[in-house]
Amino acid sequence: MENLIAYAPLLWKGTQVTIALALVGLALATLLGALGAAGKIGGGPIARGVVFLYTTIVRGIPDLVLILLIYFGGQRIVNAIAGALDIGYVDVSKFWSGALAIGFIYGAYLTETFRGAYMTIPRGQIEAARALGLKRSAILWKVTLPQLVRFAISGYANVWQVLIKSTAVVSVISLQDLLGLANDAGKSVREPFTFFAAVFVIYLLFTFISQNIFNWAERRFTIKGRNDAA
Amino acid sequence: MKRTLGAVVLAATFTTGAMAESLNICVEGAYPPFSYTEASGEIAGFDVDITNALCAEMGNECTVLKTEWDGMIPALLEGKCDAIIASMSITPDRMEVIDFTIKYYNTPAAFIGAEGMTMEAMEAGVVGVQRGTIHQDFMEGEFPGVELRLYGSQDEAYLDLVAGRVDAIIADSVAMDDAFLQTDAGNGYAFFGETYSIPEYHGEGAGIGIRKGEEELRDAFSAAILAIRESGVYAEINARYFDFDVYGG
Repeated sequence: MENLIAYAPLLWKGTQVTIALALVGLALATLLGALGAAGKIGGGPIARGVVFLYTTIVRGIPDLVLILLIYFGGQRIVNAIAGALDIGYVDVSKFWSGALAIGFIYGAYLTETFRGAYMTIPRGQIEAARALGLKRSAILWKVTLPQLVRFAISGYANVWQVLIKSTAVVSVISLQDLLGLANDAGKSVREPFTFFAAVFVIYLLFTFISQNIFNWAERRFTIKGRNDAA
Repeated sequence: MKRTLGAVVLAATFTTGAMAESLNICVEGAYPPFSYTEASGEIAGFDVDITNALCAEMGNECTVLKTEWDGMIPALLEGKCDAIIASMSITPDRMEVIDFTIKYYNTPAAFIGAEGMTMEAMEAGVVGVQRGTIHQDFMEGEFPGVELRLYGSQDEAYLDLVAGRVDAIIADSVAMDDAFLQTDAGNGYAFFGETYSIPEYHGEGAGIGIRKGEEELRDAFSAAILAIRESGVYAEINARYFDFDVYGG
């Protein structure tokens, strides 16, 4: 226990890395998910094909494999390019490799979440908006998006809960996240279980707090008496 | 921490060629007492001290990079570091992928017994050893006349030593020091006799991992290991962590 207190500042640093990684990963995933959903819904055959390939491949491989591929494989590609241009060694960042991998993976899941939410919006509303003479951008901002957010929230919250826990796998590329540092500290003072128990509690805290935030958001965006059962 | 990382990245970006002045060394930080992470986040331990001593001997600037054990060899191969100094045992499997210097230590096998125990008394008594280990092979090969008592786990052997059912135990010196002699149960017990590291039984020991094809760097490290053995720097570092010579025979 004294050890845990002594190492608390280090664990706090790791916690910050984990939070930063999860948030950057989520931002990237949201962007990719929005692009993917737009491609699947409104894109031509080529865009639809690209998105189909993306979601099929990414949802089919373990995140650990993708992280190792981006970090070490990416380094190999950078080394080859740097070698050809004769500019010496350029380091591929651990943080961005991890964030990119997480964003890339969960973007595929969010593509489906967003597409599903869009499909839930009754077609009639969009036809009605067109009949009123609203522009495409106005339909998007005034009609589609507000409802899409409402329908997507629970799926989005679900993806976030999984995403934040999957940040733990980045410790394999030596990124000093919560789990990586706790593992090193626990082994260094020969109390691995104390430190893993601390990690357990911190992750539980993360998911508990974010669940509350999403519950609040769900209430905030739901119209009373309408689709609040869903 | 961030700042030093940044400096490392910069340093790495501006160095070119395999035999640069500045070297990045992969260390682990989760294998005490060889390398461990301090509360400040710094890495310390035998491996780190040896790294600094070797770099001083070779006249290179070295930066230690904390690297996860599973990603250690890939990090070396992709050029994230130039050498691995992480208590990595020299094995034929690893030799297929990377090169090793000569060993920089080989935790020897040793005997422990009640304080005052001698080799003569051991040879006339009963020795506890874990079943199916290299230590059993060693005892049967080198001390064929000694009566052995075999145990499923090392902890049972300690219990029987304290209970007086065996006169001595042979096993890895660092493991026994750590798990028994340094604990309360180990009061009144100590190493006795010689330490043994015979490659036939005990393997090659831990070496420094280097990318294949960089013989110059490998030989420079090997020469530096011998030089710090010679100069007494090694013995000084050794004394900080162990009360026996971890280099092995």
